[in-house]
Amino acid sequence: MAEKIVVPFVDLARQFRGIEAELTQAFLDVGRSGGYIMGARLESFERKAAEFIGVRHALGVADGSDALFLVLKALDIGPGDEVITATNSFIASAWVIAAVGATPVLVDVAEDFNIDPRLVEAAVTPRTKAIIPVHLTGRAAPMDEINAIAQKHGLFVLEDAAQAIGARYRGKRTGALGHAAGFSLHPLKNLGVYGDGGLITTDDDALAAKLRLLRNHGLRNRDECEIWGFNSRLDTMQAAFAEIKLGYLDGWNTRCRKIANIYATGLADCVQVPVDQAWEECVYHNFVIRTERRDALMTHLLENGVDTRVHYPIPIHLQDAAKHLGYKLGDFPNAERYAKTMISLPIYPELSDAEVNHVVAAVRSFF
Amino acid sequence: MTTIQNFLPEQYRQTGALEINHNYLHDQFADHDEIWLKIREVVRRGDFTLGSEVDLVEKEFAAINGVKHAIGVGSGTDALFLSLKALGIDKGDEVITTPYTFYATIGAIVTAGATPVFADARDDYNIDPAEIEKKITPRTKAIMPVHWSGKPCDMETIEAIAKKHGLAIVSDACHAIKATYKGRQAGELGTISCFSFHPLKNLNVWGDGGIIATNSDELADKLRLLRNHGLAGRDECRIFAYNSRLDTVQAVVARHMLAKIEHITASRIANSNYFDEALRSIPQITIPARENDVKQVYHLYMVRCERRDDLQKYLVENNVDAKVHYPVPMHLQPAAAFLGHKLGDFPVTEAIAASALSLPVHEFITREQQDRVIQLIKAFYG
Repeated sequence: MAEKIVVPFVDLARQFRGIEAELTQAFLDVGRSGGYIMGARLESFERKAAEFIGVRHALGVADGSDALFLVLKALDIGPGDEVITATNSFIASAWVIAAVGATPVLVDVAEDFNIDPRLVEAAVTPRTKAIIPVHLTGRAAPMDEINAIAQKHGLFVLEDAAQAIGARYRGKRTGALGHAAGFSLHPLKNLGVYGDGGLITTDDDALAAKLRLLRNHGLRNRDECEIWGFNSRLDTMQAAFAEIKLGYLDGWNTRCRKIANIYATGLADCVQVPVDQAWEECVYHNFVIRTERRDALMTHLLENGVDTRVHYPIPIHLQDAAKHLGYKLGDFPNAERYAKTMISLPIYPELSDAEVNHVVAAVRSFF
Repeated sequence: MTTIQNFLPEQYRQTGALEINHNYLHDQFADHDEIWLKIREVVRRGDFTLGSEVDLVEKEFAAINGVKHAIGVGSGTDALFLSLKALGIDKGDEVITTPYTFYATIGAIVTAGATPVFADARDDYNIDPAEIEKKITPRTKAIMPVHWSGKPCDMETIEAIAKKHGLAIVSDACHAIKATYKGRQAGELGTISCFSFHPLKNLNVWGDGGIIATNSDELADKLRLLRNHGLAGRDECRIFAYNSRLDTVQAVVARHMLAKIEHITASRIANSNYFDEALRSIPQITIPARENDVKQVYHLYMVRCERRDDLQKYLVENNVDAKVHYPVPMHLQPAAAFLGHKLGDFPVTEAIAASALSLPVHEFITREQQDRVIQLIKAFYG
């Protein structure tokens, strides 16, 4: 790639520079405390995250995949059980189901890239135990419809909120829209730490108690092991960083929404752009446009210094890993069409208006 | 179910609580400038996920262990779990290990779907090969020896048993970085060896971390898939897997410590020898046999003591962080109830758990502090 990048797809150094003094202080405070696992800084972040999201419990874990995996484990979902999720997602939405021994049942998505509730209902069988709606791109899935289906069939709703921290749906935050939710705090997320990290939220006291065991070797206290568990903890230092960033999150998300608005306004006549419904606030982890001339547009944008990505070019049902599930090309026409037509444009709070306008102009010059 | 609080495990007690502490992290952190600079560099490059520092620490770790592959993962527990998974161990399989270990050894076996089968320990706190042989069934798939406290197990005998019965050896080497057995490094002892970088390990990072060592190309390839979503490229998922990666920023810390590992190890050995020398004359204390052909690296310095609980209390009252690792063996844990064991099933393990005490021997302990510990123990026994 000889082209000079004018607008990088990500640039985490910009955010770091803005809050460097606070992050450095947190590094020093945690470092000097000598306590790098669990402890007061983790608990403080968990309290604030629970309050921010509007739930009784928030638990730090090692990563967003573990957040989903541990909830399925806590529910004793396993061999013979089915869990429904979207085929247009990051692969972890499906492997967490396979990892507990259950069968992922994949469902196509709608125009908003989120799981289509009508297809969810059609996929329910007597073996179905849970639904994992994915709030893709930072936009809440149609939770009213999904919750109604879940209630009708007695299913557990586990939000895959990895991309959607801070987003709202009918006045509530993601993470408070189902029975439990898993968030990712991966560095590239809207609230990202500097390594792997994740968060589970729930209002269910018993579930939270079991998850506290499962994430820390099943330990009731130092010397007593109640159940055999895992080691999946959010590092204390990362929790301290996350707590600092949580204070900025709404402001950052507001800026992302503003950038999204500039993109949408500037590009609606050239490409398919995402549309916010009146009842929702998408936080635009990704801003995904669609065009039939996807590959040519990506090349054109790169030539104009705009770095882009595709989330995701191969739907889960067409991955090698999913072969044993027996899906084939043509099973999920929307996801397959989007996989060939989607482009994610750069979007992060630190992008300047000039950069955003450069992206708009670069797309427009192609058409 | 009882409500579980976010308890702060005793081993993470904040520095300053006691004068002579197991936790040395406050002292270690004094030397943080270079690490913070490198972490900032990782942030600037956005090199977070399996970044170049992870590649480098894997190469360096493999080199000091004399193995072909080292694979950084999320924790020592995950190292064990992923190794079992890489070997295809699952429901219906049995894995033989010791009941005298940390919870994670058993947790990894159970969460992998297999059944832990216990073989009692010997007087050196490590698994007894003679007991292993008695526990083999047609369902046995692997042996998981634990190099407890940093002393390698009797590997020649264990390897002979494994070979005879066609079993894999997954070594729990979480305590044993830089330990050697008859000239072989800890990473070479087994089909796969699993290490922890937990903050209080001999080679530590500042959060959770672990690493797996193996000479098998095939297992290494499988482990690299298993730790990273089964991804063969950014967009191509070959197998449904897991997410368990050594953070790049923690790899920075690991490399910093790796450069000091000879000093850390030498200090621990010297401090342990000093305790051995002084405590040997106390009749109420039993020092385990020290062997010439193994290098024991003393992640824990443990001796067996008469009136152990009283001695521990006395030492703690006198500002010495004496600990018990651990008072309740695995077969007697509430979580093990389904295995149907009872007190008396593993007499050596039970005797160790009832009498062993750990004293701090890390590289920041001074001779004066050690002398104070020795005086206190002598005073206690009068």
